[in-house]
Formats: sequence, structure tokens, C-alpha cells
Amino acid sequence: MLVIGECIHVISAGVKAAIGDKNKKYLQELALRQVEKGADIIDLNIGPQKKAGVEVMTWMVEAIQEVTDARLSLDTTNAAAIEAGLKVVKRKPIINSTDATPARLEALMPLAGKYKASIIALTLAATGLPTTADARIQLAAEVILPAAAEYGVPPQDIFLDPLVLTVNGNQDQAQETVNAARFFKQMADPPPLTTCGLSNVSNSCPKEGRPLLNRIFLVMMMGAGIDSAIIDPLDDEIMAAKRIVEGRQAKDAVGRLYLALADCYAAGEQFDTSGVDKGIPELADIAKTIDVLQNKWIYAHSYLKL
Amino acid sequence: MPKVEVPLEKWSGKVREVTLGGSGGRKGLTVGGEATLPFLSFEGAMPHPPSVAIEVSDTPASEWAAPLRQAWGDALEDPGAWAKKAAELGADLIVLRLNSAHPEQGNTGPEQAKAAAEKVLAAVNLPVVVLGPEVPEKDNEVLMAVSDLAAGQRIGLGYCMEKNYRTIAASCIANNHVALAKTPIDLNLAKQLNILISDVGLSADSIIMDPTTGALGYGLEYTYSVMERLRLAALVGDKMTAMPMFCTVGEESWRQKESKFAEGVPPTWGQHDRRSLVWEQITALALINAGADIVVLRHPKTVDAVKAAIRKLAG
Repeated sequence: MLVIGECIHVISAGVKAAIGDKNKKYLQELALRQVEKGADIIDLNIGPQKKAGVEVMTWMVEAIQEVTDARLSLDTTNAAAIEAGLKVVKRKPIINSTDATPARLEALMPLAGKYKASIIALTLAATGLPTTADARIQLAAEVILPAAAEYGVPPQDIFLDPLVLTVNGNQDQAQETVNAARFFKQMADPPPLTTCGLSNVSNSCPKEGRPLLNRIFLVMMMGAGIDSAIIDPLDDEIMAAKRIVEGRQAKDAVGRLYLALADCYAAGEQFDTSGVDKGIPELADIAKTIDVLQNKWIYAHSYLKL
Repeated sequence: MPKVEVPLEKWSGKVREVTLGGSGGRKGLTVGGEATLPFLSFEGAMPHPPSVAIEVSDTPASEWAAPLRQAWGDALEDPGAWAKKAAELGADLIVLRLNSAHPEQGNTGPEQAKAAAEKVLAAVNLPVVVLGPEVPEKDNEVLMAVSDLAAGQRIGLGYCMEKNYRTIAASCIANNHVALAKTPIDLNLAKQLNILISDVGLSADSIIMDPTTGALGYGLEYTYSVMERLRLAALVGDKMTAMPMFCTVGEESWRQKESKFAEGVPPTWGQHDRRSLVWEQITALALINAGADIVVLRHPKTVDAVKAAIRKLAG
């Protein structure tokens, strides 16, 4: 699974300041740290940047390319800034992102075709958030893939993103997302690629609880066959979980539980946590988190507590 | 005739039993304890059918609609007389609302709150719930005074909300009362508040939750759905959703224009005194079927109708 490192993001105060101060070194170091920790692709989120987008994206792509040859993901709603990045990027870039609305597709699909770039496409329409796997699949099949074909973008350059929603308030959506990601792989031959903004699953949850939710959801998504995920490669535990699932090497009970969970999702099934040894606190927490993500145990900010 | 086997769910959890009153000379009322969804007696026990509370205000409720004011008459002038009449009309418990404490409706303090509570406690020996104006700081002030006044009588105190749960819960522990935990119609927040209150040290059998009532036409189905999910979670063993549920049906249904207005509405809406009662009854019956353990009503005729329906449903 390809790791798209999410740390260069304008919401981060350090990144925002570095963009403002043209502090190349800060961003280069952040990119390098992500690569060292296992990122395959570095996401460059510059924010909307309505005025300075072209300049900022060009500057940032060039700065990061000075220190690493990792692939870059150009992340902004400003199409002109995306194109500016595409002009200077050396390795096959990723456009992050279009959705299923005509305006975004018409602005970005032609760029993907022209520059032979990959493109992330969220299954999100102007009509509102999709509430089922079927609604996501329908947007991919009827809107996104036809638009890609129209502009000469082959399926293997499309990263379909099933739109991860937060478990806090949309608890029934986690499994819909997993099921959509699983089905996306059967939609074309050769199949499109898949990705997801993974940490959205714990959006608005307390900070201390987010890594566990993210980690367990990643294992589920990997079981369902996701090709890539936008995650924090500096989170050692999520990277360790990823390596365990990929390498099929579990050295302890936690690792074995990850593998059992991934295998279960690979078989298209739900995981039954009744067999997990709840006497071991770490396993009990994972079991509760699995049940929360499977919508079998109601989420509350303190769901691990009682 | 072939024998048809009724499919039964096997639930591993059940709703907590919570007793209001039953000490300090006050009559006891236990709510909760369901081991199945409402009224499915063929599947599991419902040891305590839903209870009917009547709402009493510490003010004469001059803004209430005509059918209500006519029904209660002079009793509106005094919370003690009102509570006594409510008991005679069949209330299982009395809910006293301290409306005058609201900063915009008199901003009265702890002394007035105690005086109103004292009247109600002296007038009836039914269990009593006292609700503040739902302004957290003000609730703390008036409810603490009432909590001390009624120490040992195991009254209900509300509301225990996100902003003030520590104070109310601590007072319930000190004086052996029951906390009413209220959250804005939201599954996750309801569970979270129960966890937080338990974390303060109040026993789970001293918590009743109010998931916030939406009346018929004003979010009833949303409330219904949240209550149903809380109850289903309780039945599969989630102890932090297993508290009995309390719904302020009268307050919400009589707030709506369908209940409030006799004039200036389409004639097809029908007679006001009938329409408004139906509104309250339908809201109550729907929520009883969603798992409400206590419905708080306003009109005596609704009390009769709802009690009759409960008797029939509970067999």
C-alpha cells in the first residue's frame, strides 16, 4: 500500500508559517522525515491560496524536489496552482483532488490528461454526502470514470476516494466506506486505484483517541484492498500496523489481532470481537474500537473508559 | 394448522432500574428494568410499564394555551395545589419546573426555589422531579438549594448537562437523589454524558436520561430514532446507554402552533381543544413505543388517554 504523507498541510501552524516566510528548509526537513518513516508520496497541501497559488505551488514543488525524488501530490482547490505544480514536477504527480461535481471535474480532469498525472477523485456530489456504499459506487461509475475517459485519463491513473466520514456522528458510514473501497477495484479492467483521507474517520474526536481509531480503520481498509492512504507517516504505530498487515509478521497478540482483522475484511466479513481476550487492556481497547467502527458499539468521546 | 414459531431476539443486556422516592417518607416509583423492546412481553420482561408525570410550574403559567389553563383553573396559582390536583388526576410522579428562576422570566433565586419545592413536597407524597430553567449556572444555584431541602427523599434533579454535570452529580451523591442527564438529541452525546457523570462517582442506578424531545411535526422521528438506538444498545449490553429515559412531551407539544392557537390557522386543522390534545397524545404514545420510561404531560385528558393506552399495551 502506498503511503501518502499528510504532514505538509496548511492547517499545521508550522507549515503555514513556513509558507508565509518562504522557509524552504522547514518543509524540506518535514518531507525528508516523512520519506525516512516510509512515505511513498508527499502531499503538498497549500490551502486554497486564491492569490499566490501559482507562485507558492511552484516554489514548494521545486523546494521539495531538491531533497527527495518521492512522488508529489499537489493538494489545493486552486486549479491554476495545480497546473503550475504539474509544469515543474519531475516524477509522475498526483492531483489532490477532484470530486464528482462538474466544475471540479472540468477543471482538473483535463489537467490529469494533459500532464499524464494521477488524480484523486472523491465520490462526493453537489447533492450532499453519500450515505451508502452504493451511492459512492454510483458516483464513481456514472460520473467520475466517464469523465476520466472523456479526457483520456486511464483508470490506473485514477485514485477513487470513498469519502471517509467521522465516526463521531456518522458512525454507520465507516463500513459503507470500506465496502465502497472494496467494490471500486471491480469497476474497470484494468481496475482504478483507491485511496482515502484516512484520519477523517476520527475528525472531531479527542486528540488522544484519534491514533487508535485511525490505526484500526487503516487495517480494515487494507483488508478491503485499498491501494494507498493519506496518513501521518510520523505516527510510528500506524506505520507499524501497516507493516504488520503487509508483511504478515505478527510478533505479539496485538499484531495477530491486526492480521485476523485484515483477513476478515479481505474475506468481506465483519469481525466478531467476542473471541478477543478483553483481560489485556490493549486488546480490549482494540476490540472496542473495532466494534465502534463496525457500528456495533455506540461511539462516545470516552468510549474506551467504561 | 402448522405451528408457527415466533422468532425471538436474545438480548444480553437490560435497562437499569432506577427508583425515585421510596425513602424519607416519600412513596417509591421504580422505572426501567426492561429486558426487551417496549411491550414485547413474549420476548422479555418489562417489569415497570412507563410512568406518567404531570408538569407543575412555580409560576402561574400565564403563557399556556387556553385548554390547559381551563383544565387546571385556580390550581395554576399555587404549585402545592397544582401538585395535589395532579396527584388526584392520576400522576405517578410530579415534575416541578422552576420557570421563575430563568434570568429572563424573573431570575428568582434559591429561596423562591425552595419555597416552591417545599409546597409540592408537602402537598403530595408522590416522587418528585425538580427541573431548573436550563441555564447551567442558574440551575446549579436553585437545584443545590432544592437538593439540600429534600435531602434523603430521593427526588430527581435536572438538568445535569455537559456544562454543569459535576455540580449536580456531586449533589445527588451527597443527598441521595437521582440526576436527570440531558443532551441535545444526539446518540453519542447522550452516551458520553452518562460516562462523564458515572466518572464523577454517581452510581448508574441514580441516572435517568432525557434525550431531548421533539414533538410531533418538530423532530419527533429524530427523537424516536435516537431513543430506539440507545435502547437497542442497552439491550446488547452497553451499560452507558442503559439508563431509563425521560421525555418532556407536554412542554414540547404545547410549544407548537398546532397546539397553541385556536385562531389564525387553517380551518382544516380542526377544533383547537381536540387538536392540541391529539398532538400531546400522539407525541407521548410514539415515544413510549420508542422506549420512554417517564413521559411528562400537561393536560389531564392526555394523562387519562396515555395511561389507558399503557394499560392496554402492557396487557
